[in-house]
Amino acid sequence: MSAAHAVPLLETRALSMRFGGVVAVDNVSLTVAEGELRCLIGPNGAGKSTFFKCLTGQLRPSSGRILWRGRDITGADSFAIARLGIGIKTQVPSLFDGLSVLESVVLAVRRLHSEATSRARAVAALARLEIEHLAGRQVGLLAHGQRQLVELAMVVAPEPGLIILDEPTAGMSAEETRRAAELIRELNRRHTIIVVEHDMQFIRSIASAVTVFHQGRVLMEDRVERVLADPRVRDVYLGKSAERAKIPA
Amino acid sequence: MRAAPPGIERRQYLLEIGGAIALAAAAAIGLPRALELFAVINATVFVSLAVLALSLALIWGFGGILCFGQAAFFGLGGYAYAVAALNLSDTTYAVPIALLVPTAAAAALGYVMFFGRISDVYMGVITLTVTLILFNFSNSTAGDEWRIGAAPLGGFNGIPSTPPLNVPGQPGAALPPEAIFRIAVACLALCYILAKLVLRSSFGRVVIAIKENELRAELLGYDARLYKLGIFSLGGFMAGIAGLLFASCVFVSPTMFSLSYSAQIIIWVMVGGLGTLAGPIIGCILLQMLTTWAGTLRDISPSVILGVILMLVVLALPKGLLPTAFAIAGRLRRGDRR
Repeated sequence: MSAAHAVPLLETRALSMRFGGVVAVDNVSLTVAEGELRCLIGPNGAGKSTFFKCLTGQLRPSSGRILWRGRDITGADSFAIARLGIGIKTQVPSLFDGLSVLESVVLAVRRLHSEATSRARAVAALARLEIEHLAGRQVGLLAHGQRQLVELAMVVAPEPGLIILDEPTAGMSAEETRRAAELIRELNRRHTIIVVEHDMQFIRSIASAVTVFHQGRVLMEDRVERVLADPRVRDVYLGKSAERAKIPA
Repeated sequence: MRAAPPGIERRQYLLEIGGAIALAAAAAIGLPRALELFAVINATVFVSLAVLALSLALIWGFGGILCFGQAAFFGLGGYAYAVAALNLSDTTYAVPIALLVPTAAAAALGYVMFFGRISDVYMGVITLTVTLILFNFSNSTAGDEWRIGAAPLGGFNGIPSTPPLNVPGQPGAALPPEAIFRIAVACLALCYILAKLVLRSSFGRVVIAIKENELRAELLGYDARLYKLGIFSLGGFMAGIAGLLFASCVFVSPTMFSLSYSAQIIIWVMVGGLGTLAGPIIGCILLQMLTTWAGTLRDISPSVILGVILMLVVLALPKGLLPTAFAIAGRLRRGDRR
């Protein structure tokens, strides 16, 4: 992890996103250092996906700033932000259904490399995710778990500086989730990662700093075990009525 | 698009290009000998309209841009050719002008639409509106004051004196209809090959990816607006070629901008098969032959026949002629193997 005085990889300052009267993201200031593996948790509707849409240029924030390596990128276009090296796996897989798996991953790197290099990198990315056997298949005909992995391959292949994973294990089996956790730890050796998850077991297994979102705000930010032990987090997730329900510690 | 191994895919690609060249050569050599003069001129019109169908097949079927205004670029190509040829008394330099004007118009219109991030529905409305404005404008240029240099615009009547193509550099030597037919066939084949090459290039693959999922393409760092602008301008260029060929074998008039053309182009593409290049060409030529034949009938309007056919195709073959034919052929082949 980088030293405290170093410029953070990504920083938001008082970022807000309002839709009419609804404040989806409310004054969020978040700092992610180079090499970090940051978990974002929070119930549905807490504003996580909207926050990511602001980060990746899909939405223009109503106020606040976004800094990438200290440079202001607030309101930049999606493609321009992607070119800086921010890759996102969206909550609902966003794929090229009519293309083959290999074609899709080649496209992810073709902007940066020659045809031959792109192919080699795409094949390597598929191998890294253990889905080489899907290379010739049409993306639109794949099962949900496989689609998640294809999108992940597209995000990882160009070697972005920051990888955002919005609920990567949604719809995965226990075994697939275990493999995904392994993969994320492995990816973290080379990439800074922000991952959104609901599965506490999963978060504990990738053990890292956790930021809790609630009603568009940052509720708390701490080490994983402290966050999971915090009564406020239990309230947020389970509601007051379920105070006694246990989150396995 | 089916995912095939690269070897097979490449072989099919070469086969399609080879087939296009062979077919074009056969048509260019054979048809002028077999047909009467009137039929040759008619065939040239069909071929020029097939280029127009191809232009929409490219931008709609592969770029996902439903343009109701291909007729605008078709008409602009035709008018630019006629006006330039009359003023220069030579068609040699009228040709590049006739290609430049519609391409530039498509680029300008595309710039406004794509960089303005206008949604698909409004894109249809805008392209159609532009076409109708041009239709109304060209219709209202009847007076003697409406002339560009030596070329009177002629209002409703158009420019009957549109000259045919001449031998490059020899203003007096107008090409006979047979030669113009051959040029048209060559242009169709070249446009088809050009479209194939473009779609196989990395530019074309991004265009297809944007049609599949624009957001994902942007999240991978591709500026979708630029790619759409590129393919749209190419579509305008091809529609311009169609207009130039049409003008050279008949003459230009406001009907080139008409609603009936705008709608027919879409019908050709739908009937032939959206998402293919050859399908719309086949659809265009078949439907043109049909409308010509229907025009000789006394008791029924060709529009009614065309409308019924469109409905039948949409209901019975929603994917269009060519994809349906391929699907049937594929099923038969698989059946044989069992």
